[in-house]
Amino acid sequence: MKDYVPPPEAPLRAPAQVMRLSRMGSMFPTRLSFLRTLMRFLAAEKAQVSRLVWAMCARGYGHAVYSISFGGHTYALVAVSTELAPQDRTDRVIAEAWDSSYVLYDGVPDADEVARICATAPLQEAARFTERDLVLSRANKSVRLFQHVVERLRAGQQPDRRMVDEIGYLMRTTAVYGNGKFGIADRACIDTRPGLQGPFMAEMLTVWLIRQFTHDLVEHVGQGRLDRDLKRHLGIGNSTGLGMAPFLVTHPVLLNNWMLARETALARVRALRHLEPERATRLIALAGRAGRHLAEWRVPDAAHQARIDRLRADWAAFAAAMTAEALAKDGALARLVQASAAQSEDLQELLVALMLEPFPELVNGLADCMADPVGPLPDPLADTGQLREEIARSFDWALVPDYADDAQCKQFWYVSAAKQEPRLGNRFADSGAELESPLDIARRIKALFLDLPEWSEAVPAFLERYPDHLLAVQRVALTTRYPYAEIRDNLIGAGCRPIDMLRCKLAFFGASKFDPKSDRWTRITLCQGAPLADELDRRADDWWLPVFDA
Amino acid sequence: MSWSRAEVSALAAKAARGAGAPAAQAALFGQAAALHLAQGRRAEALTEALDMLPEGPIGSLPLVLQRALPEAAVGNVVDVDWDGDRELAQSYVDTLPVPCVVRTQGVDKLTLGFVGSERPLPLRRISGCDALIAQMTKLARRTFVPESAASRLSGAGAGLSDND
Repeated sequence: MKDYVPPPEAPLRAPAQVMRLSRMGSMFPTRLSFLRTLMRFLAAEKAQVSRLVWAMCARGYGHAVYSISFGGHTYALVAVSTELAPQDRTDRVIAEAWDSSYVLYDGVPDADEVARICATAPLQEAARFTERDLVLSRANKSVRLFQHVVERLRAGQQPDRRMVDEIGYLMRTTAVYGNGKFGIADRACIDTRPGLQGPFMAEMLTVWLIRQFTHDLVEHVGQGRLDRDLKRHLGIGNSTGLGMAPFLVTHPVLLNNWMLARETALARVRALRHLEPERATRLIALAGRAGRHLAEWRVPDAAHQARIDRLRADWAAFAAAMTAEALAKDGALARLVQASAAQSEDLQELLVALMLEPFPELVNGLADCMADPVGPLPDPLADTGQLREEIARSFDWALVPDYADDAQCKQFWYVSAAKQEPRLGNRFADSGAELESPLDIARRIKALFLDLPEWSEAVPAFLERYPDHLLAVQRVALTTRYPYAEIRDNLIGAGCRPIDMLRCKLAFFGASKFDPKSDRWTRITLCQGAPLADELDRRADDWWLPVFDA
Repeated sequence: MSWSRAEVSALAAKAARGAGAPAAQAALFGQAAALHLAQGRRAEALTEALDMLPEGPIGSLPLVLQRALPEAAVGNVVDVDWDGDRELAQSYVDTLPVPCVVRTQGVDKLTLGFVGSERPLPLRRISGCDALIAQMTKLARRTFVPESAASRLSGAGAGLSDND
């Protein structure tokens, strides 16, 4: 057996540079994004999607069942489509009805199980589910596009390409629940199965199958067939609010593993001294595709559109320097990264995503390192002296703010009584700050630091006197082994924008076309350009930053 | 009704916070409680632990773990002071990354033996603990912030209409 020799690596970008909210809020999907990983796996497995049941009325209400087999298991998506009055259509978690609801099922459900899911899935959080139910989701129509496509198909025409491009999806999910929520299976039930070991793989599979259902549904109601390229450009939308943001704080090992995989991939690419001509050609082509993608990325919010416009202009100028001659020189890739340092974080992160794309052999294997199969393995801290040193070394950023200053503690995270979902309040205007959720990591680290004794003592003895500091001690103990575990910003400061956390997580999912509705809510598009169910054998891995004419 | 481990873990953590436990201790209790019930151990031990807050095992067992953590390597044996429920202590050490067997030593000591074998996966669905679930649900509510007119409008930052 040969030993595995990892590829050479340039130095990793420092956590102090990478783990800032503004940079995390500038991330783009990469070939390490979970949907990309899933598509590669399904393609390698030659997985085939079958539509087992289609019990749908002419208006498109009823249910359907799809199945897919891989890794020695069969999974089924049960989709339920129901009529929804316009006044009941809201993407917020307080909604009680949706256009469609879904369960990813473990195996193929029999008629009784299908009937059970058809009765419970539309109730979502108000129902209870079983261990056979792996993922629970729901989606609302983009009424405008869905209706337009139906009308055009009924008239024997294809939909307006500009409208398809502008909206990008027929439905958008408003929640995709996994890991035991409302009684569905714990992730531990499936996390050793081939294809589902990676983070959020069952959820990504669900989303991809839902996209297939939306295509089938609109063709059923419209009684016509969409052109393949139009259909491929119809992804599945998602509407996401604050509920997703705390995950990155409460799962530090996962955050580390995601970031470390991406940074390691970048370090491997930067270490390449010489670029073969075909790789250079590929890089230039992808840079051009990124430019077209930016041109197709249009959002209603003026401020965000201005940001996209700036990036589009900067990218055009930057990419113009990526010529075959320039890329033929030794160290060209490392120089590209150096040159980007003078540009915006948006451009820097777009460049990172681009640079990973032409190098599957250096990058793809790192996707296997992005889960957290064993849980945190903190390095024990010998005493409070070492604790102090670690804080000074890795949490210097947390010691700077004066958290008594109103601006540094203006916001507080809490859980709402209405839907038991995370929310963000104004400490000086809203009630409930006394019930604050413990996401104030930076403030806690500083409080711990200030209470450390001048002498050194065993950490448990210190914690006997200061039990409230255990959380901060745990976070410090994680940092030596997990350098990218912590968002290095004050998450209760006036300047904290949760949208940055959302974008980071969603980019890892594979989202594009971020369409922020506020600083704590965004719509996105998933699976746009992704292979259709019958294209896994030929288009599985070339849909980074998709464009309409690709 | 049966419950997933993730549900019970999240609920138990909120319940412990609602009953006065600090954040990290509450989270550890959540992890331990789910393992405890999934292994078929006594639900009453969890009820009693919640009733004892702010004193009792929810505060003290995490410190037992802190003492054991530096020795958490296969083959090591650690003696710790502990005069509470042995099963609950076992559930706490089950949260450690190295499989560990807890044995009673006298009335106020435990011996933690870090073993090399694989820990059996506690995948059993959780059921038959309705009274505990009801208690935890009640305590967890203490951590929720009631909705106001303003927070209902602003919600999670969404707009008011999604008919597009």
